Amino acid sequence: MSARLRVDLAALTANIRRVRETVAPSELMLVVKDDAYGHGLEPVVREATAAGVTWFGAFDVRTAHAVRAAAGADARIFAWIAASRDDLDGAIAEDIDLGIGDAGLLEELADAARDAGTVVRVHLKIDTGLHRNGVRPEEWPAFVARAATLENDGAIEVVGVWSHIAEASDAEDDDARAAYERAWEQAADAGLRPAMRHLAASAASFARPEFRYDMVRVGAFCYGIRSAGGPSSSELGLIPVARLEADVVAVGDEFATIDLGSLHGVPSSLGHRTAVGTPAGARSLAAVGASRSLVAIWPGATVGDTVTVYGPGDRGEATATDLAELIGTIGEEIAVRVSPLVGRTYSSG
Amino acid sequence: MSSSIPGRDVSAPGSSPRSAPVARISRGALTANARSAWRQGIRRFDPSILDADAWGHGAHLVGEVLDAGGFVATPPRDGAVGAVDGPAVASPETTLTPSTLFGLPAAGASTTPALRLTGTVLSVKDLRAGEGVSYGYAFRAPTDTRVALVTGGYAQGVVRRLGGAVDVAIAGERHPIVGRVAMDVCVVEIRDGAVRRGEEVLFLGDPAQGEPSLESWVRATDLTAAELITMVGLRATREEAP
Repeated sequence: MSARLRVDLAALTANIRRVRETVAPSELMLVVKDDAYGHGLEPVVREATAAGVTWFGAFDVRTAHAVRAAAGADARIFAWIAASRDDLDGAIAEDIDLGIGDAGLLEELADAARDAGTVVRVHLKIDTGLHRNGVRPEEWPAFVARAATLENDGAIEVVGVWSHIAEASDAEDDDARAAYERAWEQAADAGLRPAMRHLAASAASFARPEFRYDMVRVGAFCYGIRSAGGPSSSELGLIPVARLEADVVAVGDEFATIDLGSLHGVPSSLGHRTAVGTPAGARSLAAVGASRSLVAIWPGATVGDTVTVYGPGDRGEATATDLAELIGTIGEEIAVRVSPLVGRTYSSG
Repeated sequence: MSSSIPGRDVSAPGSSPRSAPVARISRGALTANARSAWRQGIRRFDPSILDADAWGHGAHLVGEVLDAGGFVATPPRDGAVGAVDGPAVASPETTLTPSTLFGLPAAGASTTPALRLTGTVLSVKDLRAGEGVSYGYAFRAPTDTRVALVTGGYAQGVVRRLGGAVDVAIAGERHPIVGRVAMDVCVVEIRDGAVRRGEEVLFLGDPAQGEPSLESWVRATDLTAAELITMVGLRATREEAP
C-alpha cells in the first residue's frame, strides 16, 4: 500500500500560534486524544511542546501516560476518563490532572490518593446540559461540599471547575454558561478556590470570547480542521495539517486506480460525491472500493502519480471537513477513521 | 466495583473496566466458519481476507486458522483497471470469502461473527423530560428517564451516524444509543434498568443469539460491513478469545 498521511508540523505550530493569539490571555490546552486525532501523538506532542504548549488534554489515563513520555515531567496533562481503580492509580503515579464528574468516582479517587500518600489535582465537572459525564446541578452543592472535605483531608486539591457545551445554539450555550457560573460560585461557597475555569472547545474558543475563561481545550482547530457548517479554515486563519495521499497503481481509459480504499478509512459513501487532487487538479473520486479506488482520468496520468484524497486544497482536493459535510458528519471523523496501518510521514513546511 | 449479584463481578485478568472498548476475536468462531465452508467442498481462500490486518481481526490469528484448516490462497489477482476490487474471482461457491470467515451479514445465518465489541459503563445519571443529550442536542428526552455514558465513539469505529439508530445490550437487555456519538464515548438510554458504573456494554455480538449486530450498523450508516468491522478491529483494544 502506497497510501500515507503526510503531517505538516510547521502548519501545526502555525495553528497553535494562531489559536493562542486568538484566545489570549486564556491558556491553550491542546487536545491529543486518539493519537492526536490520527496525526500521531508523539510527534504532535513534541512539536507542540517546542512551540510552548504546556497543557495537554488526553481523554484517558492510557493516553495521558503516552503524553507524559513525550512531553516530559513539566507538562500538565489532563485526563477526564478513568474506568477503574487501576486507571486512578496510574494517573496518580504519572502526576496527571484528573477531571471528575461522578460522586462515586470522587470517593474512589480519594481512596487511591490516600493509599498512595499523595495529593491528586482534580478538576470537578459540572453537567451544564450535555448529559454525558458531569454532576447534575441539583447534586452539585453536595458534590463540591464533599470535595472541600476531601481537600481539607489532604487527599485532593481542587484546581479546576469545567464543563462541555453542546453547541446546539448560541442561546442554549448561554444557558449552559449561566449554569457553569452558578456552579463556580457554589464551589467558592463550599470553600474551594480552584484557579482554572475551562468550558470552550475549538468553535466557541474563536466565536465566543466570553466562553474562554482561564483555558480553552482545542483539538480540531490546532489540526486545521474547521467545524462542519462553520467558517472556512482561511477565514479562521488555520492551515489543514494532514494530507491523505496514495499513488496511482494502474491507468485505464476512464479511470486511474489508487491503492487506498474503505478498509484504510476512506468512507465508501464518498464514492462519486467528491473531487480529489491530481497532478492536473481536481478530478472526481468515481468509486471507493475495499482496498482500491477509482479517480476520473486526467491527461498524462501515469502509474506513480500522487492523488490527494483530502488536504489543504493546493492540488484541487477537498478538506477533511468538506468530505465530512458530503456524508453528514464532521471533519474529526474523517481524520480519525484513517487506518493506523496507513503510514504517517512528517515534514516541517 | 461491588455487587450483590453472584457471578457478575468475577475478577479475571482482563475483565476490569476499561476506558476504551474491547474487540474480542473468537478463534472458535473463525474455525467453525472455516469448517462450515470446508464441509461444502471449499479448499481455497480469497487472499483479500488478509487485507488490512485481516479486516481488523488480526492477520496472525486468521492466518493460523486458515493454515490449521488446510486452506490455500487463490492465485493473486491482476491489477485490473476500471474495477474497484479487481475481477470477481471470489465466488462464495468455490472460495472462502472474508464475509464467510468473519461471519459478516452477507454470509447469512450459517456463520457466527468472529468479532464481539464491548464497551464499559462510565457513569449513569438522571435525564429529565425536555433535556438534551450530547452535541447539538440531537436527542431530547420525551419523559424523565436515565442514561449511561459508555466507552466507544467514532474514533473506535462506533460511527457517528449510529446515534439514534441502533441498540446496545447491557446484561442481555437492549438499550438505544441516543444523541450524537462523540469521539470516544456515547450515551445509552437505560430507563429504569439496573445498570451500574463498570458494567459491560455489548455493541456487536451474534444476531443468532438476539444480540446487536453489524447488519443494523450497515443499514444506519450507508457504509459497508467490511469497512465498519475493519475500523472497529483496528481501533479497539483487541484480544483473542476462545
